[in-house]
Amino acid sequence: MPHQEALTVLAPIRAGAEDRVREALAAAAAADPPEAAMPFGQMTGVHYARFFLLDADVAPDGTRLAERLVLMSDVDAPLDRHLTELAERGAAALDRVLRHCDGYPDDPDVHGRMVYLRRHAVASAAAYVNTVGRGLDQILLEERLRDAVEAYLDRCRDELAADDARTARAKIRRFVAADETLRPALEPAQPPDLTFRVREAAHLVVVPAVLLLLTPALLVALPVGVVLLRLHERHDVPDERPADDAHVALLASLEDHSIQNPFIAAGPLKRGPFRRLLTSGVLWIASYAVRHVFNHADLAGVKTIHFARWVFVDGKRRVVFASNYDGSVESYMDDFIDKVWWGLNAVFSNGVGYPRTRWLFFGGARDERAFKNVLRTRQAPVQVWYSAYPNLTARNVENNARFRAGLSGTMSEQEAEVWLQRL
Amino acid sequence: MAATAVTVTSGLELDDMQGLVLRGYRRLRAASFLLYTVEEPAAARAFLAELAPRLTTAATPTTADTALNLALSASCLIRLGLPAAAVATCPLELREGMATPHRSRILGDLGANAPEHWRFGGPSTSPVHLMLLAYATDAARLVALIDELAASAASGGAVEVARLETIDIGQAEHFGFHDGISQPRLEGVAGARHEGGDTVRAGELVLGYRDEYGLYATRPLIDARDDPDRLLPDDVEGSGQRDLGRNGSYIVLRQLEQDVPAFWRFAAAAAGDDGADRRNEVAAKLVGRWPSGAPLVLASERDDATLKDRNDFRYHTADEAGLRCPIGAHIRRANPRDSLDPNPGSSASIAVSKHHRLLRRGRSYGPRLPIDRALEGGDGAARGLYFMCLNTNLPRQFEFVHQTWALSPKFGGLYDEPDPILTAGGSFSIPGRPVRRRFTNLPRFVTVRGGAYFLLPGIRAVRYLGSMGGEPGNSSFPVGS
Repeated sequence: MPHQEALTVLAPIRAGAEDRVREALAAAAAADPPEAAMPFGQMTGVHYARFFLLDADVAPDGTRLAERLVLMSDVDAPLDRHLTELAERGAAALDRVLRHCDGYPDDPDVHGRMVYLRRHAVASAAAYVNTVGRGLDQILLEERLRDAVEAYLDRCRDELAADDARTARAKIRRFVAADETLRPALEPAQPPDLTFRVREAAHLVVVPAVLLLLTPALLVALPVGVVLLRLHERHDVPDERPADDAHVALLASLEDHSIQNPFIAAGPLKRGPFRRLLTSGVLWIASYAVRHVFNHADLAGVKTIHFARWVFVDGKRRVVFASNYDGSVESYMDDFIDKVWWGLNAVFSNGVGYPRTRWLFFGGARDERAFKNVLRTRQAPVQVWYSAYPNLTARNVENNARFRAGLSGTMSEQEAEVWLQRL
Repeated sequence: MAATAVTVTSGLELDDMQGLVLRGYRRLRAASFLLYTVEEPAAARAFLAELAPRLTTAATPTTADTALNLALSASCLIRLGLPAAAVATCPLELREGMATPHRSRILGDLGANAPEHWRFGGPSTSPVHLMLLAYATDAARLVALIDELAASAASGGAVEVARLETIDIGQAEHFGFHDGISQPRLEGVAGARHEGGDTVRAGELVLGYRDEYGLYATRPLIDARDDPDRLLPDDVEGSGQRDLGRNGSYIVLRQLEQDVPAFWRFAAAAAGDDGADRRNEVAAKLVGRWPSGAPLVLASERDDATLKDRNDFRYHTADEAGLRCPIGAHIRRANPRDSLDPNPGSSASIAVSKHHRLLRRGRSYGPRLPIDRALEGGDGAARGLYFMCLNTNLPRQFEFVHQTWALSPKFGGLYDEPDPILTAGGSFSIPGRPVRRRFTNLPRFVTVRGGAYFLLPGIRAVRYLGSMGGEPGNSSFPVGS
C-alpha cells in the first residue's frame, strides 16, 4: 500500500484578474455533476482535493501579502503520477482557473502544466495523515466489504441467530470468499513499501540522536528562549472581535452539506524573527510527531481528522492550516478547545490576534469565545472541494479496516464476539 | 433612580431571574404559550412595563396558583427600539433566528420539517416577537389569566400569531415514556454540588455567570449612556457597559408533532409474532428507557418499576458495545454521559459532556392515545410536544446536541443512524449476539411544526425595555446625559 503525499500549489494571480479567478471558481463549484468541473475522481489515489482563494493580507511589518489561488490535494504516492494525471485528465479544469495566474502558459500542454505545478508547489511544514499507509483503494475496498456484509446480515440474520460467534464469523468469511470483488479482503492489508518504511525508521531514530548531540547547546538556548517568549507574550495584542456576519454567513452556506467539511485557517505571523523561528521549531516538532506518534487514527485525542497540513507562505510571513474533518465546525472547534488546546496554542499563538497565551501552551484556546472568534475570522471559504469517500468518518474508515483485519487469522470465541460488534 | 436591589442566594440573583430558570412549574398543570407579533412599539413597551412586576421570579413562593414568564426574540428587541449597537451584541444565532438555510440543514428542518410549512416562526407566518408563558393550577384559572393577558397584549400593540395550548398527560410523553428525567442542575441551588455528573456551573444556563470554562456567554450589552437611570446591572466582565442579559437565558422552542400510531405500529411490526413484550422492548431500545423511565443500562431485560426514573448510571463501563442500550438510542445520544472521547468512562469524558447540557421545559399537547388505540390506527387528533429548553450558548449547547449528537448519522462511531425518534429514513441497529439486528429506512415519528429562538430576559431587563422611549433602531436616550 502506498504512503500519502500532500500537494500544495500556490499560484500568484495576474494583476487585475482576481474577479475572473473568483468567477472561474464559482463556476467550478456550481458545476453539475461536480466531476465535470474537476475530475479528481478520475485520477488515481486522490483522497481529498480543493481549490480556494487565499486572500491578500498585510504582515505586521507592513509587507503586502498577495492574493493566491491555492490547489491542495491529499493523494497516494507517487506524487509524480498525481501531477501527470492533473496535467492530463484535469487539463481543461486546470486551464480554466490557472490561466488567470501569473506565468501559466498561454497555450498549455501536459508538459507546460506539469512544469507550472512543480514550480509553484510548496512543501508542508507538517502534514498529518489519519493513518499513514492506508491507500484509497484499501479504504474503498473496505467500505464495499462492510456494506456487503451488512446487507448479508440483514438478509440472513435469522440463519445466524443461534450461532456462536466463531460459527457466525466462519459464515461471514464464506460469504466474502464467494464474492470475487471482495475476496482480496480475506488477506490483511499490505503495509507501505520497504523503502518508505526504512526511510521513516531512519528518521525516527536519527532525529532524536542529533537532538541528543545538540543537547548542551539547547540547554543554553532554552532559558533565553523562555525569557524571550514571556516578553513577547506580554506584548501580544489579542484581537477577539467576532467575525462579521456576512463572513460567517458565507462560511455557513458552504458547510455541513455532507458529514465531512474542509477547513482552512490562514493568517500572518506576529512580527519579528523570534516568532518566525518559534513557529518553525514548533511545526518541526509537530511534523516529527505526526510522522511517528500520531500516525494512526488519532491526532493527540482528536479522531475526526482525515488529513491536515501546515504550510508557510510569503517567506514565513504567514501560515495556512488546512484539514478535512468530520462533523460540524462547532464540534471541531470544541475538540480543539477540550482536547488539543495545548497543541493549538503552541502553533497558532504565533499568529496575529490570537487569544493571550502563557508559557506557549496555556491560556489561548481555553478562552472559548475569543478562540472561536479568532478561528472564524481567519477561516477562508473553500469554493471547490472534493472527497473520495464523503460518507465515511475517519472512525468509520478505521472500523472498516479493523473489521477487514479480523477476516484473517484465528480468533477465540471471545475475540470473535468483540469483532462481530464492529458490524 | 438607583440600581434596583436584588437578593443574592447561593451567588444567584434569584429575584431578578424568571422562575422558569429554576422550575418547570410541574404543580401548575395547565399551561399555554402565547406567541405575538409586536405591531406598535410604544404600546408594547408600556405592556412590558406593566408585565415586569407580575412576572414569576425564581424567588416567588412555589405555592402561587399561577405563574407568568416572558420571552423575546431578537427581532422584538429591534422592534422595541433597542439601539442597533446593543442588538449587535446578541449572539448571531439569536439575531438570525432558527429558520435560516444553514440552520435548517443542521437542525434537520428539511422536507416535511421545513420552516415554510411551520405554524409559527417560518417565512409564511407573521414574525414571532414575544412569547408569554402562562401556567395555572387548573384550566379555569389558566383561562382567566390568558383572557386578561390577551386583552392587555391587544391594547399593548401585540397581535397573536399562535396560541400553544398544552395538556397535562402526566410524566410520560405521547409515545408513553417517562420524560424529563435527566436534567442539568444549577450549581449553588438546593445543595447541588459541582462534582455530580448533572450539576453544571450557573453560566451554562444563566447569563452573566461563569460557565464550565470559567467564562461568560455572549449576551446583550448596552452602552451605559443608554441606561441613565441605572436600571441594569454593570457588565461583570468590566467592559463599562450595562448587562441586558444578566439573569436571563436563551429559550429554544420547537413544536414536535408526534405520530403515535406510526411509532407503535413500527414497534409492533418489528416484534412480528412475538407479542406485546417484544414490541415494548423494541420501543424501549429506540428510546433508551422503558416506559416507567427505568434505563436500559440498568434494566436490560424488562421494565422494572423499582428502577423507574433512575438516573445514576453511565454507559461506558456498563455497556460499551450497546448490548443493553443501543448506541443510537435517543437518550444515549441526547446525553452520552461518559461514553465519548476523551477517555470514555473517565471524569474527563463527563467534563466535556457538561459543555453540552440543556435544561428542558417542554410540555405536551393533544389528548393521550393508548397503545391499543394507536395500533388500530389512532384518532386523527394532532398531538406532540412543545419542546422547550434553556441554555446560554446556542451553538455549543442546543445546536451542538441537535446536530452532532442527535441528528448525526455518525454519532458514537455509527454509520447511518441518526436519532431514530427525531428523524426519518435512517437505520437503527440493536446490538446483539452473535450479530446486531438492523432496521433500515425508519418511518417518520416526529414532524417539526414550528420553532423560534428567544431571550428569556431577567426582570430588570424587562423593566428596562419597558422604559425605553424613541423610535425603533435609534438610541432612545440623549447622548451624554
